[in-house]
Amino acid sequence: MMTQTKNISSGRASARDITVWDPLVRLIHWSLALTILLNGTIIEDESRAHELIGYTALALVGLRLVWAFIGPQHARFTAFPPSPRRAIHYLKTMIAGDRSVHLSHNPLGALMVYNIWLSVIAIGVTGYMMTTITFFGVDWVEEMHEVVFGWLLFSVALHVGGVVFDTWRSGVHLVRAMITGRKSVPEGREIL
Amino acid sequence: MKAKFWPARTEERRATILAGLILLQAVCALFFTVDVIEDYRHDGQLDGPHMILESIAAVALIGGVIFLMVELRRLLQRMAVMQTGLEVARGNLADVIDAFFEEWQLTNAERDVALMILKGFDNEAIAGLRHTAAGTVRAQATNIYAKSATDGRAQFISLFMEELLAGDIGTVASHAEDTSKKGPTKEGSSPVG
Repeated sequence: MMTQTKNISSGRASARDITVWDPLVRLIHWSLALTILLNGTIIEDESRAHELIGYTALALVGLRLVWAFIGPQHARFTAFPPSPRRAIHYLKTMIAGDRSVHLSHNPLGALMVYNIWLSVIAIGVTGYMMTTITFFGVDWVEEMHEVVFGWLLFSVALHVGGVVFDTWRSGVHLVRAMITGRKSVPEGREIL
Repeated sequence: MKAKFWPARTEERRATILAGLILLQAVCALFFTVDVIEDYRHDGQLDGPHMILESIAAVALIGGVIFLMVELRRLLQRMAVMQTGLEVARGNLADVIDAFFEEWQLTNAERDVALMILKGFDNEAIAGLRHTAAGTVRAQATNIYAKSATDGRAQFISLFMEELLAGDIGTVASHAEDTSKKGPTKEGSSPVG
């Protein structure tokens, strides 16, 4: 009887909406996705636009790194430390059927985040090097620029796959969380 | 499943706008910085009014970005505190309502109806939601008003408003003690602690 009253008075009956991604995190995420998409598809290589978009991507990652120091709880490095050990542990518990929900990135997703940031930085730096006299036309720089971009595309595909898989597994709509900022956690799920 | 990016609440909107400004300004800062570096690479000198002006602009923009980020952080913190307060208040209000219902010895059905009245539904809507006849709801509502010694919907609702607005902190505190004494003993009577 008590719980019944509580349920009605709490309005949204079954799920808990928790704010996790602040607007800056969301804007940076989608802007970065856009720069990768633009430079990887319609923008011509070696054009001025390609350079400018590349620097924008660098700035976005730089901004996000600063935000990871001074931003709110879920955006901070401490919320998703790069730890392969934790990722493996997470994989094991996941396979064992644990369905608890991580509010920030889950340990496996955290590794992907760092991987993508580092790739973007590597692409940006080699891209800049190609515009300098010292490194212009140097083969390994160009090769690295392209190889890392290939790796980034592969990572993005894995990232999207991971999001789809985790949305299916945990029941938390992750794409929507990255748009509205709120994770809607199904009732009775442990939150980490 | 509607995904709403543009938030309805003012503070959230401010946070979004602030974040957008940070992003734009960071990109501007980057371009000024890149420009300064490129000019330097071409001319090899840092003096000259053009360079000085551009350098100042770059530094100002970067400083602005960091300042705005700190501001956004503050705003987000304030919003979080407000949200917590709201949740505590909600929990408290639910407890107060429960205590009243207990005191008036409402039946389960009457509790449901009373709660819906408080939420602003009219009798017909309540009948629809509860899959009962409108006459039944009317009878239940009459019972509720009788048990709570009010003369109708408006006075019934104002009873709770009055409770929320009543007196200074001292009287609110003493009242809270009061209800926890005479109200049903339950775990949720002091949600703050």
